[in-house]
Amino acid sequence: MAAAAYLEMRGVAMRFGDGAQAVSALDSIDLSIAEHEFVTIVGPSGCGKSTLLYLVGGFLRPTAGGVYLRGRGIDKPGPDRGIVFQRYSLFPWLTVRKNIGYGLEEKGVARVERDRIVGEYVRLVHLEGFEDRYPRELSGGMQQRVALAQTLACQPDILLMDEPFGALDAQTRRILQDEVRRIWRRDTKTVLFVTHDVEEAVALGTRIVVMSARPGRIKEVVTRGFDVADGEEFEANPAFAALKLHIWRSVKEEVKAARG
Amino acid sequence: MKMLPLALLVGAWQAAASAGLLPASVLPSFWEVAASLGGMLRSGEILPHTAASFGRAGAGFALGVAGGVVLGLLMARVRAVERAIEPILLLIYPVPKPALIPLFMVWLGIGDFSKIAVIALACLVPVVIAAYNGARSVDDMLIWSARARGTAQGRLLWRVVLPSALPQIAAGVRTAIAVAIIVLVSSEFISAETGLGYLIFSYGGVGADDAMLAVVIYLAVLGYALDRAYLAGLRRLMSWHAFAH
Repeated sequence: MAAAAYLEMRGVAMRFGDGAQAVSALDSIDLSIAEHEFVTIVGPSGCGKSTLLYLVGGFLRPTAGGVYLRGRGIDKPGPDRGIVFQRYSLFPWLTVRKNIGYGLEEKGVARVERDRIVGEYVRLVHLEGFEDRYPRELSGGMQQRVALAQTLACQPDILLMDEPFGALDAQTRRILQDEVRRIWRRDTKTVLFVTHDVEEAVALGTRIVVMSARPGRIKEVVTRGFDVADGEEFEANPAFAALKLHIWRSVKEEVKAARG
Repeated sequence: MKMLPLALLVGAWQAAASAGLLPASVLPSFWEVAASLGGMLRSGEILPHTAASFGRAGAGFALGVAGGVVLGLLMARVRAVERAIEPILLLIYPVPKPALIPLFMVWLGIGDFSKIAVIALACLVPVVIAAYNGARSVDDMLIWSARARGTAQGRLLWRVVLPSALPQIAAGVRTAIAVAIIVLVSSEFISAETGLGYLIFSYGGVGADDAMLAVVIYLAVLGYALDRAYLAGLRRLMSWHAFAH
């Protein structure tokens, strides 16, 4: 057997509820992810793609199989795996500064050092001047920037993103996609990014995982054979268009299957 | 503008009395009541009674709110506590708390302790329910978010559950302010030698309706002022939350 992958899912199945009411969300998932990869997971809604992410996060335990990080089974959440949700990542009662510094405070980092690090991440996501605002005073796009900074400030090895830009308008989404790619290149973190947006999946992922309708299985895994530069108008790239069409057709079959 | 309906009511009351439509034996005129209240304030006789009442209500309220928050959060997070407390709470909920005053007097005497205990119990109920519901409706994702940012299981209650539940707790505490005043006055009706409830009861007993109503209006104004001050304080302290009104 080859050396264990960085992040590995082996025979993972997930069922919710029991007896006749049991719903099978995921079935026979095998997936290996190398360090520094940017993997996007795309599929019809209800296919269990977010559940897959929550298993890696350690928020849920699989019904069968296991999820391993550096060969060790994941059994609980930890700051080595940061997560950004579509909503509810931020604590509404904390200011932007305190939200970003939350993980550092939990780790016991002293105030002065904490403020210095928070300042760095505030600049990274372009939120200078908003440090003392509360989340509800910010736009959806700015809230997601704070959530990203909050997650990055914990210095996770893996960045889990659960449709983080799903609630944003198209322009804001495009800008934030570029930022995430830029941060991934800079920090060479491993990113696992769930989306239902095929274009987003192709624009960000160096590998794209397509999932089937429920129970979610891995339908195909496509390695993107070309780079997408920050700010690139990828609409003009024929290779991009071809891959997007391929993935779209693959997902569309599953959407149809889900509607039965 | 907000005061207009109130002004109309007082105007109608006074007009009816002036026109002779309202005999003094049914309801004294507004002016008589206002004059009586003015006299009590000028002589200062109402002040020691106010202090005695607010001492009792404040003590009971503080105990009830503190106990209610702790109990409500524990019920939401610890299954055994929920099982033990919920049936008792549901049983106490519909009981008019003043009905328990005689029983508390048997246990704690006719002095301040029994009054404070009944007020505390009455204030506890809405706060427990608010804290329990608030803590149970915390979004899973917020808990997960905290866990993925290094918060240990045991610290979730303090770091996430309590602050998430604060808006609901604040609403429960607002109810408790009104409840404290209601139960306070009831308890002072039954046995007291000081307090605003005692004043109302004793003026009513000797047929001094104008003085009795003066104390009732004084109490209403104080209660209103307390509620306004509470809401204003809440908006300042909890500016992170979008209050509905």
